[in-house]
Amino acid sequence: MPLASTLKVLIVDDQNSVRQMTRMTLEELGITLVHEAENGVGAFQTATLQPIDLIISDYNMPEMDGLALLRAVRGHAAIRKLPFILLTGRGDRELVVKAAQAGVNNYLVKPFTTATLREKIEQVIGKLT
Amino acid sequence: MSSFEQLKQTFFDECGDLLQQIENGLTEIREGTQSEDTINAVFRAVHSVKGGAGIFGFETLVGFAHVFETVLDAMRSDKLAVTPDNVDLMLASSDVLTDLVNMSRAGETPPADHGSECRTGLQALMGGSDDEVVAGDGHAAADFDIAFTPVQIDLDEGIGDPVVYEITFKPGPEMLKKGSDPLNIIRELRQLGELELTADVGALPDMSAIAVDKPCVSWTGKLKTTRPQAEIEGVFDFVADDCEFSIVNTAPPPPPLVIEAAPLPVVDNAPSLAPAGDKPKAAGKADAPAGEGKPQKAAATTTRVELEKIDRVVNMVGELVIAQAMLGQIVHELPEHVSARLQQTLDEVVHHTRELKDGVMSMRAQPVGAVFQRMPRLVRELSVKTAKKVRLEMAGENTEVDRSIVEQLSDPLTHIIRNSMDHGIESPADRISAGKNEEGTIRLSASHRGGRIVIEISDDGAGINSDRVLKKAREKGLVAADATLTEDEINNLVFMPGFSTAETVSDISGRGVGMDVVRRNIQDIGGRISLKSERGRGMTIQLALPLTLAVMDGMVIRVGRETYVVPMSAMVECLRPPRSDIHDLVGTRGMLKLRGELLPIVDLGDLLDVKASDSEGGVVIITEAGEDIRFGLRVDELCGHQQVVIKSIEESYGSIPGISAATILGNGRVAFILDTEKLYEMAGVPPAAVAAAKLEASTVRH
Repeated sequence: MPLASTLKVLIVDDQNSVRQMTRMTLEELGITLVHEAENGVGAFQTATLQPIDLIISDYNMPEMDGLALLRAVRGHAAIRKLPFILLTGRGDRELVVKAAQAGVNNYLVKPFTTATLREKIEQVIGKLT
Repeated sequence: MSSFEQLKQTFFDECGDLLQQIENGLTEIREGTQSEDTINAVFRAVHSVKGGAGIFGFETLVGFAHVFETVLDAMRSDKLAVTPDNVDLMLASSDVLTDLVNMSRAGETPPADHGSECRTGLQALMGGSDDEVVAGDGHAAADFDIAFTPVQIDLDEGIGDPVVYEITFKPGPEMLKKGSDPLNIIRELRQLGELELTADVGALPDMSAIAVDKPCVSWTGKLKTTRPQAEIEGVFDFVADDCEFSIVNTAPPPPPLVIEAAPLPVVDNAPSLAPAGDKPKAAGKADAPAGEGKPQKAAATTTRVELEKIDRVVNMVGELVIAQAMLGQIVHELPEHVSARLQQTLDEVVHHTRELKDGVMSMRAQPVGAVFQRMPRLVRELSVKTAKKVRLEMAGENTEVDRSIVEQLSDPLTHIIRNSMDHGIESPADRISAGKNEEGTIRLSASHRGGRIVIEISDDGAGINSDRVLKKAREKGLVAADATLTEDEINNLVFMPGFSTAETVSDISGRGVGMDVVRRNIQDIGGRISLKSERGRGMTIQLALPLTLAVMDGMVIRVGRETYVVPMSAMVECLRPPRSDIHDLVGTRGMLKLRGELLPIVDLGDLLDVKASDSEGGVVIITEAGEDIRFGLRVDELCGHQQVVIKSIEESYGSIPGISAATILGNGRVAFILDTEKLYEMAGVPPAAVAAAKLEASTVRH
């Protein structure tokens, strides 16, 4: 069972406000080791260089979007099983289908509550303690 | 402010940028100058506004952004044609979106039908469908109705394929002395995966020669792990300086990441960064910083700072300038053998303060492009309304000026361009019959000139009809019936309060806001406005603005017992003219003959009702009061040039004629900063006298 206080999460979103909001929600779950990236390119670098346990990434970003990031992660031997939760907007139904095909672990529709975030994380890595 | 409120603030700040991106993108599309990614960028921006608005619970905003986004999505996937009409609707929608963001920011609930016209238009494009449900209901979103099973991962099993690292580890003598046990390192490594190590005991001396605090064993081997390299390096964190170690990934490097149009910054030249022949320790570490050491991308090199924080620094620099002036005063009063060295150091401080000031000011600086960007849209809309063909040319958008000035430029520029469109540029038919190109041109340019920023708005329209202006001015009693005015003077009458030439007030310009208000706005930020018009050929309006509103170079002067500051930017030269060069001329307070030119002299003591100590002599400062207007300002003494901090007094004392602001001098006393343009007006030098003087000067010359 993963310990929330040692779980290292990477938040990827081009909007600072959304990143901070997600960070705040994670902190409510006791997850404080949080990295941030503005787009897929930065996120991929962080994920390959730092020990990361979970990526929570937005889809809609310049340079490299969430789906491209997911594919890049799955294609990199050292991190190919890295848990990946995709943030989507309401109405991005088809995107989730594509993401599932690319091997996403879970998805989360914005806006979300603390409880939903916990549920989505726990569905992937098991109960947080 | 709660952290949630702060986040909201961050969101609205982002919205500002996003809305600008939307508008710029759409404008490019409208003008046909877009790139392939433009429509995607616009879509992304609208989508981001929608996403953020959803999180912060602005449902009307989410609803509208959603409809807008749907249409953009259709457009970018070629399901909807990019026609001028469609793009115009998009531009109008971007306005509605801006309104909604502003209302949400102000805490107002936008009326449900706000922008309903646009909304209906957008929906019509999509065939009338309106998926309200998707638009949100103010609560957390539900999952989609698709069969999706979350994929579980056991983190303990690792997240990647195991990689074999070659490890070498040689404890140094310092390690044991500091109480670190090499075995602990090995134990920690073992926890990361399968570890096979061979101890090298070749360096082990005879039993009798073994020292307790001197390690002689080293290890080499392989670690098979799924953990990232950084974590292995982490094991050595505390002993990195006291041992030699290396961690080398034996797996072939992963295929490079290929992203269309946006390649990943090159990382695979890492080994070349390690200096040749370096110790193994350094080689092992070289892998990690290779990616970090390089700037990831341009966007990461900037940071957002609250304006308030910068303003605080600006204020502190202001205080520093004052304190420094005081120090200067004290040093000046010291005996010279003491002051000499002190003065030298003080000079350095002055130099550094100036650089500090420039640095802080450049932080506040913003390209004028921020305001210019809004103008193409204005011109396009007005050309539709007025049925005139107009091309807008812009130059110097990157010219930087203080943010507060940029903010206050928008209204005057809008007004001037409205004026040009409405009164300046003629209808296509008129233009053709006047032998001009059917399409009119408005040119907007910005440049730095002598410590000021100069913005010019020129058009190739009809210019000012001076007969009509003069007639109007006489009717309104702004000019005496028998006054004779030059063409330039007549043209400048449009700046008089209460003047408006439009026979009928149109809804484009002439909304009761005249050029006098424009001039007032420009003067309020310490700028000057001037106008040149050529009948039938067009006109040019020039705005000359200060670069900053906080600190300026000034000349401290004395009249009687009062001290004032004249802005250096208004000064042309200083001289002490002989009595013979001053001519009395009816209606003036004396004219100075300078290099064959006659300039009116204004006595500062008389104007401000201060008793001058020496009314005959004194110094004359040749001062500029607007384009082509020069006059001599007589003062008693020049006390020195210094940087002064501008302290506004308008809030407390209202507007004082001839005074633009106040400052604090080195001796701690307050001095007023003079408004030379106003002083010239107050002196009431009759234009006729100036004209006569010019005439006389020319006859003298001949």
